[in-house]
Amino acid sequence: MDKRDMEVVCIVVPPVEQMNRVVHLATTAVASRTGLNIDQADDINTALDELFRLSISQPDNKQCFSVRYDIHNNRLEVLAERLQASIGDGSSKVSRYRRFIIEKVADRFEERTNPDGGFDVLLVKFISNNLE
Amino acid sequence: MSRDEINSLFLTYKENKDPKIKNEIVGAFMDLVYSLSRRFANRGEPLDDLVQVASIGLLKAIDRFDPERGVQFTTYAVPTIVGELRRYFRDRASTIRVPRGLRERSYMLNIAIQKFSQEYGRTPTVREIAAEVGISEEEAIEGLESNEAATVASLDMTTDEGNLSLLDMVGGEDHTLSLLDERLSLAGAMSTLDTREQNLLYLRFIEGLSQTEIADRLEISQMHVSRLLRRTLHSLRNNLTTSSREPFIS
Repeated sequence: MDKRDMEVVCIVVPPVEQMNRVVHLATTAVASRTGLNIDQADDINTALDELFRLSISQPDNKQCFSVRYDIHNNRLEVLAERLQASIGDGSSKVSRYRRFIIEKVADRFEERTNPDGGFDVLLVKFISNNLE
Repeated sequence: MSRDEINSLFLTYKENKDPKIKNEIVGAFMDLVYSLSRRFANRGEPLDDLVQVASIGLLKAIDRFDPERGVQFTTYAVPTIVGELRRYFRDRASTIRVPRGLRERSYMLNIAIQKFSQEYGRTPTVREIAAEVGISEEEAIEGLESNEAATVASLDMTTDEGNLSLLDMVGGEDHTLSLLDERLSLAGAMSTLDTREQNLLYLRFIEGLSQTEIADRLEISQMHVSRLLRRTLHSLRNNLTTSSREPFIS
């Protein structure tokens, strides 16, 4: 099947430890479809790991969050929606660590408040130009 | 027992599958079983367990061996027994039981990634690596992700290269990771990691090397780097989370 200008894949993730692997598999598959290489796919997984850990670390949190993958010709946009906690503003060690890692592995990253509650985090990874 | 006597036992066993004959053959090769088990005894598993595993290998070798091929039984039995012992360690290492076919696929992918990176000087895509190995992209993705099932394996487990653990192979250069500690004001959280883990974080997040570049520099596979990084970040995150819950003591 030819890649269209944009394709969208969504998954809804319960905040359960074992679901991390489901997110990994989906991310690697989508990254492959986008044309990202193995390192880049792993970078997105590293960032999503941090967001996943953030979500499951909230006490008594049973709220699912969703991960939406927008596949463009030159990039992959990954939107983690309705996370039950913010990455943080950098005032704590953990939030500084988390922001640092995500900034390093994503080409662009942005956090915003979801109007229906919780937080959304957008990660962008561009396809590198080293393919012949 | 002489070679002719053993051959004669095998010929008889091949005809009638008499368990008594099989026991006799087993008895004749138990020294081999012990000898091979002892080779793996430095990996943290009790010798008795290894002998049991190796014995299973011996039994399989006995059942499959054809005395009419003109090959000595030990020539056939040794790789069978060693293979059984290696599989035992691979199974023990994973907290998630990964099917053997998937582990072998993961192994082939590992080699293909290294080869591709060396040949083309860049990281392959899943499509490229699937083509190299001759599998579908879906199978390649499954193989890459099954690698993560070994993430919680003991990274102090020795590798096939000798007595080095996976972490040893990262090296212990003392980079200025205090730079990272200061930059992020992590208040010494980095010091909870050992030097090798700090080195890995330095290469990835300060020097900005990709996993493939780190793998090339450290002469380990990209999949190893991925596993090590994941574990190191996990440790660091846990340390930070734990210390942030500690009460403030004035």
